[in-house]
Amino acid sequence: MARMKFLCDADRCIECQACVTACKNEHEVPWGINRRRVVTINDGLPGERSVSMACMHCDDAPCAAVCPVDCFYTTEDAVVLHSKDTCIGCGYCFYACPFGAPQYPRVGNFGTRGKMDKCTYCSGGPEADMSQAEYVKYGSNRLAEGKLPLCAEMCSTKALLAGDGDIIADIYRERVVTRGYGSGAWGWRSAYGETISV
Amino acid sequence: APELSAQQVNPTESAVQEEQLMRALQSGEAVSGRITIPDARAGDLIKPDNKGWADTHGGTVKTVNVAAIIGMLVLLIGFYMYRGRIRIDSGPSGRTIQRFNAVERFAHWLLAATFIILALTGLNLLIGRAIILPIVGESAFGTLSGWGKIAHNYLAWPFMAALVVVFIAWVLQNIPDKTDIEWIKKGGGLFTKGIHPPAKKFNAGQKVIFWSVIIGGAALSFTGVMLLFPEIAGTSAQWQFYQVIHAIVAGIMTAIIIAHIYIGSVGMEGAFDAMGSGQVDVNWAKEHHSLWVDEKLAREGRAAPSSGGGAPQPAE
Amino acid sequence: MLVKRKQGEAARGRLASMAAGIATKTIDRRSFLRNSGLAVGGLAALGTIKAGMTRQAEAGPTDHSRPIELRKNICTHCSVGCTVIGEVQDGVWVGQEPAWDSPINRGTHCAKGASVRELVHGDRRLKYPMKKVGGQWQRISWDQAIDEIGDKMLEIRERSGADAAYLLGSAKFSNEGAYLFRKFAAFWGTNNVDHQARICHSTTVAGVANTWGYGAMTNSYNDIRNSKTIIFMGSNAAEAHPVSMQHILTGKEEQRANVIVFDPRFTRTAAHATDFVRIRPGTDIPVIWGIMWHIFENGWEDQEFIAQRVWGMDQIREEVAKWTPDEVERVTGVPEAQLRRVAEKFAKERPSTFIWCMGGTQHTVGTANVRAYCNLLLATGNVGAMGTGANIFRGHCNVQGATDFGLDIGNLPCYYGLAEGAWRHWSRVWDVPYEYFVDRFDAVPAKGGRDPRSPEQNMNVPGIPSTRWFDATTIDAEEVDQRDNIKAMIVFGHGGNTVPRMADAREGMNALDLLVVADPHPTTFAALHERTDNTYLLPVCTQFECSGSRTASNRSVQWGEKIVDPIFESDNDYAVMYRLAEKLGFAEEMFKPYEMVQGKFSQEPTPESILREINRGGWSVGYTGQSPERLKAHMANQDKFDLVTLRAPADADEVGGDFYGLPWPCWGTAEFRHPGTHILYNPNVPVKDGGGAFRPRFGLERDGETLLAEGSFPPESEIEDGYPQFTMGVLKRLGWDEDLTVQERAVISRIGEFDEEKIDAVSWSLDLSGGIQRVAIEHGCVPYGNGKARAVAWNLPDPIPVHREPIYSPRPDLVADFPTREDGRQFRMPNIGHTIQQSVVDRGLHESFPIVLTSGRLVEYEGGGEETRSNPWLAELQQDMFVEINTRDAESRGIADGGWVWVNGPEGNRARVKALVTERVASGTAFMPFHFAGWFQGEDQRGNYPEGTDPIVLGESVNVVTTYGYDPVTGMHEGKVTLCQIEAA
Ligand SMILES: Nc1nc2c(c(=O)[nH]1)N[C@H]1C(S)=C(S)[C@@H](COP(=O)(O)OP(=O)(O)OC[C@H]3O[C@@H](n4cnc5c(=O)[nH]c(N)nc54)[C@H](O)[C@@H]3O)O[C@H]1N2
Ligand SMILES: Nc1nc2c(c(=O)[nH]1)N[C@H]1C(S)=C(S)[C@@H](COP(=O)(O)OP(=O)(O)OC[C@H]3O[C@@H](n4cnc5c(=O)[nH]c(N)nc54)[C@H](O)[C@@H]3O)O[C@H]1N2
Ligand code: HEM
Ligand code: HEM
Ligand code: SF4
Ligand code: SF4
Ligand code: SF4
Ligand code: SF4
Ligand code: SF4
Ligand SMILES: [Mo]
Repeated sequence: MARMKFLCDADRCIECQACVTACKNEHEVPWGINRRRVVTINDGLPGERSVSMACMHCDDAPCAAVCPVDCFYTTEDAVVLHSKDTCIGCGYCFYACPFGAPQYPRVGNFGTRGKMDKCTYCSGGPEADMSQAEYVKYGSNRLAEGKLPLCAEMCSTKALLAGDGDIIADIYRERVVTRGYGSGAWGWRSAYGETISV
Repeated sequence: APELSAQQVNPTESAVQEEQLMRALQSGEAVSGRITIPDARAGDLIKPDNKGWADTHGGTVKTVNVAAIIGMLVLLIGFYMYRGRIRIDSGPSGRTIQRFNAVERFAHWLLAATFIILALTGLNLLIGRAIILPIVGESAFGTLSGWGKIAHNYLAWPFMAALVVVFIAWVLQNIPDKTDIEWIKKGGGLFTKGIHPPAKKFNAGQKVIFWSVIIGGAALSFTGVMLLFPEIAGTSAQWQFYQVIHAIVAGIMTAIIIAHIYIGSVGMEGAFDAMGSGQVDVNWAKEHHSLWVDEKLAREGRAAPSSGGGAPQPAE
Repeated sequence: MLVKRKQGEAARGRLASMAAGIATKTIDRRSFLRNSGLAVGGLAALGTIKAGMTRQAEAGPTDHSRPIELRKNICTHCSVGCTVIGEVQDGVWVGQEPAWDSPINRGTHCAKGASVRELVHGDRRLKYPMKKVGGQWQRISWDQAIDEIGDKMLEIRERSGADAAYLLGSAKFSNEGAYLFRKFAAFWGTNNVDHQARICHSTTVAGVANTWGYGAMTNSYNDIRNSKTIIFMGSNAAEAHPVSMQHILTGKEEQRANVIVFDPRFTRTAAHATDFVRIRPGTDIPVIWGIMWHIFENGWEDQEFIAQRVWGMDQIREEVAKWTPDEVERVTGVPEAQLRRVAEKFAKERPSTFIWCMGGTQHTVGTANVRAYCNLLLATGNVGAMGTGANIFRGHCNVQGATDFGLDIGNLPCYYGLAEGAWRHWSRVWDVPYEYFVDRFDAVPAKGGRDPRSPEQNMNVPGIPSTRWFDATTIDAEEVDQRDNIKAMIVFGHGGNTVPRMADAREGMNALDLLVVADPHPTTFAALHERTDNTYLLPVCTQFECSGSRTASNRSVQWGEKIVDPIFESDNDYAVMYRLAEKLGFAEEMFKPYEMVQGKFSQEPTPESILREINRGGWSVGYTGQSPERLKAHMANQDKFDLVTLRAPADADEVGGDFYGLPWPCWGTAEFRHPGTHILYNPNVPVKDGGGAFRPRFGLERDGETLLAEGSFPPESEIEDGYPQFTMGVLKRLGWDEDLTVQERAVISRIGEFDEEKIDAVSWSLDLSGGIQRVAIEHGCVPYGNGKARAVAWNLPDPIPVHREPIYSPRPDLVADFPTREDGRQFRMPNIGHTIQQSVVDRGLHESFPIVLTSGRLVEYEGGGEETRSNPWLAELQQDMFVEINTRDAESRGIADGGWVWVNGPEGNRARVKALVTERVASGTAFMPFHFAGWFQGEDQRGNYPEGTDPIVLGESVNVVTTYGYDPVTGMHEGKVTLCQIEAA
């Protein structure tokens, strides 16, 4: 069974934000919700690196562990999804998530966060695959269409890799060997409890 | 010109490498940077500590709550089997005196009702998914919890109001004094039939409840408000801290209150009336709050009635 | 735990072996039904939408039984030319899919390309024609708009002449649109026609064309994969050409290439470089001479290449000798060791390529900068081969095509310069007598001591550059070398905040008799001024709503297919130009060669028929082989082209042997099937396979030395040495005229007016039959000849590039040593740069304005930004105009990151923006993006836009603070260096 993962090769990511707008485009994500974002560390200094981050679809997802209503579930592809019908917008998953993935329509005073939204790995939610209801709540379901996440597919430099974890690890390893140095499998240790050895 | 050349850099020289990243992560510190969207929090790229919070939440916090509540229930059952219902040794006198006025009673019940709902809805957030969800199913549980959350968020306010009233009404009588030492030495007489150490309006046990409620309630209120307004709370690390305190205090306090409820209802004959009608049987009062009864009657110009005596009923 | 119901079982198996981010062409991306629905509600309904009402995006019920169509177009933002695939259902653009097959972008995009669908959702688009009446915007009909605009133009023509109307075109046009607009100007009778190349790469085109023949990128983004050393000079490709970085970073990995960035700022491109060299803005020439100093000093130059293919390198050597390492460091701030390292790598670790962009071009010395870059390439033998070249990253999506089609004050289409021969050539192609045009032009009276001009002379005098139109509006009429001042601005697809000195431009706008904006958005031209009347907005659709070809930076021509119909009441450029021409009375002559069809509101020419006309006339650059059929076949067969060579295998259907997009020159007719030219001036492959040589354009010898190549020629060439351009006379001398067909001969004779001498003079670029080109190529020769590149361009103001300080220089000491050129007159206007530079020094402005201000791009926004700031998916990512200021400079001024500041310019203008405190810029330097508008010196101007068309994000324009300064060769503005002072607001 494929174990879907993300890997952002920081040596290639140029903070072009294609992944961010591709996601907006694909799912008509409203203003203020950022399923994916790009963070630049060491800005303006030698060693500046940008990394595109969304939900990493963790092993033993901490968000799922803390969710009071247990609305998370993991698909056969190891994608961590949740049900917006059940979600009560408590915000716990945001605080549990090492990657700041969960997003809320209103940022939260008085418990008024609204239903949590996050990266679905372009695979919808609990509604019937590719149904209108699914689209409205979670965006499109590319996995069901036999496609992969649009953010990675459209990444300008092919820095952002999505797909079976073993395969993308291989691609990354090959690059590291070709260029002679690694760039860090950002988030892998926190998300998957491992890193990629070359 | 020399100034410019001093700023030459070679980007790859110290480029971020795998190990550097791992070190940053192992120390548990966040990896943060610049982001163009105006949401400062989004600048945190990876915060391994969040997982720590998740573990604490699912571990320590849950354990403390479950252990405190189950532990208390076990204790009470044990106590009941050992001691049974505490009766009025001298039997009801049929005569009553005013113990709590309407305002006090209203405040108490407001406090009580909101607390119970807060406790239940709060507890639901913590362990509902393990207990209730399997029974009612996902959809119903979602709805239930949604309402529960709303209830929790809004009932917090009357709870805090009641807490303030209760504090003002009873704080003077709850300042610990010498009589409490005697009372504690005798175990409040709870464990031995017929022993009634003297007490003023509130005995040491009640004082413990009172201060638990005040201090615990204040802690819950403060942390709770922080949880309601994350912007005031500050960073997510602070929010997480408040959350842990809130949940642990809630658990301990719930356990204490369960004991209180027991003693105020089934555990002791005649106790409930104090908060029910506000009138308590004089014999009950003499047994449990002898000094208070003496003082109160003295103030009202009546001698302490002997048990069974036929003193006139207060005018209706 | 929920177990999700799975419908996509079949897909699931494949998923296991799928990984995005690599070219996975084997995967069957089955078409599918989309769930989104944006209710457009039909055109009829749109016509009735009231002012301020915008369509709401509504997720309608999905009908899975109806099919989704895929349509291919090209991203309308930058010159990389990424293919966009639109999914269309019921005439609504419902989704975008990766265009895996495009060898240019291979499915990918940058932020802008990944969000283009929103351009056509158009919440903030101009929805119908409007005009200003008494200061209020009013909705009008197309008929009324065209009528009133036409009447005004004719009236102005009557009073002030044809030159009084300024026709500002666009690099956003399709090739056909750009060509049509240039033709429109010719029929109207003016050379006052321009587009963004003026403020972009005009200096590149001038510099490069004067060096080796053509003004274009020599290689391609893909070819950079072959380079071992890559220099970026004033190019921030990571933000400006993001998808190019895919090729560059892969190349960097696979070749372990050196990537060296020269920039005053530590850019996102620099972050991925192996070396970053921080230079003082405006010192490119000393930096290049500094590199070459080491090269010559150590004998690292390519002597064979220079001997065979370069003229005048010795003179360069003399100039370079003056730039010792100490002197270079004094002027540029770059230390010796660093330049030496770079020089050695560039010269020795070859192939090397040199990439430049706006950091080099937007200067008073822009053309000279470019010439210096070319010299570095020539000295090291790095032109005309794989992995080498002048990789000029161009600007807008079709700035290359618009340049090629002469949307320019000094050219007719395809670089036929303003001269009688060129006019006669195009008259033949357009099937209109030459005299027709003579009639249309103004006679210019003697003014300011200058000679008068007849219409025929005026036809050949370049117009006023777009950087100066407002000066030409407000300056004393005596000073403008044409009949009258500029009275009317007709702006098709050009921002109003993208030329420096906006405060002056605003005065210019106020002074105009007529202002017309034909654009999908109102632009700053609609919002900046205080005009109350005679101001018109015409809603033009984007290139996604019409079809046509566009030429990417690497000269590949790509056909864009209409994705959806023009939204609201917008219409395409072709139709608008047609209606205007009709009203002005020359439509019949101008449009007669075209196939006319019924468009949305009127007749319009088909882009195919316009392209066919281009194919009939574009011999000089080889725009003749790119027929509509071949271009469409390329789009349909994108998967056949190799990622690195860009060539399709010989046996591929329809496109066998072609280079992707038939990059020009694509010689001869379409039937001749020249494959196009991936790498210019490449003598390593036969001409018929895209080979070439430097173009001898400036005579055959100079100072007694030959200007023809010596001992260098493409394989299979029957002339094994340099040779001049081919003419009928040359063919005859070689005896090759026998190879011409009867029909070809007939055409040539007709062009030579059946006069033997004139027939012999008919050249490869005037021969409408294509016979001369065909025969030359069949004999292995380059039609334009085989010459040397010119290290020294004796016809330019500075034949050998010399350093000159910017007008607003922070270094008076260096101004004394390296002053700007003397005042003069260029392009019908005075240029008083020297006077201003002197006064800047005299007033000691470097003390009151101690920070050097430069400007440039953000990845999220394009150009003046009115389109992209109206796109919520992009606007969300950059919500405030800012200035990058160094940590130390901020500290000493009490400025906090994110706080408001005033940026004060030395000409008395100022901008209120947010501070971005960063080490990207060195202390003493500040940077501002140029994409913002809608605030003017602290004032919010949102109310000036017609209701509902204001961009989501507004901000101050940097060009409010940028200052005077023009390149003498092209009129390019100084956009990259001025002075400023910054204070907390
Ligand atoms: N996102 C985005 N992409 C675009 C565009 C856009 O608007 N937005 N526009 C397109 C267009 S029209 C163009 S022309 C290209 C332009 O693309 P670029 O030229 O790459 O972009 P700029 O940011 O204008 O300038 C490049 C660099 O020049 C540096 N520079 C400033 N002064 C000097 C100097 O004196 N010498 C040198 N060597 N460098 C200097 C600046 O610091 C800047 O980093 O981008 C195209 N792509
Ligand atoms: N200070 C400073 N100034 C600069 C620069 C700089 O670096 N610094 N860069 C300069 C450069 S390189 C350039 S190229 C310019 C860019 O400056 P502009 O080209 O003025 O910028 P845009 O706002 O992109 O203008 C393009 C317009 O075309 C419209 N448009 C889009 N598609 C179509 C179409 O199909 N038909 C028509 N009719 N219109 C269409 C868009 O809505 C938009 O209004 O700015 C220059 N100005
Ligand atoms: C339904 C359950 C409850 C019952 C039956 C009950 C009953 C009582 C009674 C009878 C008294 C009076 C004791 C006396 O006469 O001194 C009392 C007092 C008090 N109750 Fe409750 N109570 C309940 C719930 C609560 C709750 C939830 C709280 C607080 C969170 C609370 C806080 C107090 C306090 C602070 C006092 C005064 C101190 C004391 O007497 O211990 N009670 N309660
Ligand atoms: C005094 C005012 C109180 C406020 C403002 C408050 C607020 C909150 C908030 C904001 C939460 C987070 C979940 C949510 O958004 O619904 C929460 C959780 C919780 N509260 Fe309160 N609360 C208060 C009092 C109480 C009291 C009296 C109790 C009962 C003992 C209690 C027990 C809990 C529990 C158990 C949780 C769940 C913790 C978890 O899941 O880890 N709270 N409270
Ligand atoms: S990244 Fe965050 S939201 Fe996603 S699975 Fe991990 S913890 Fe949950
Ligand atoms: S916000 Fe929703 S999904 Fe997240 S923990 Fe709370 S209920 Fe669960
Ligand atoms: S996987 Fe899909 S939902 Fe997730 S960030 Fe990428 S595009 Fe958005
Ligand atoms: S699209 Fe790719 S390169 Fe661009 S920001 Fe996202 S991950 Fe980085
Ligand atoms: S803006 Fe340029 S790089 Fe970005 S998608 Fe469009 S064409 Fe490609
Ligand atoms: Mo440009």
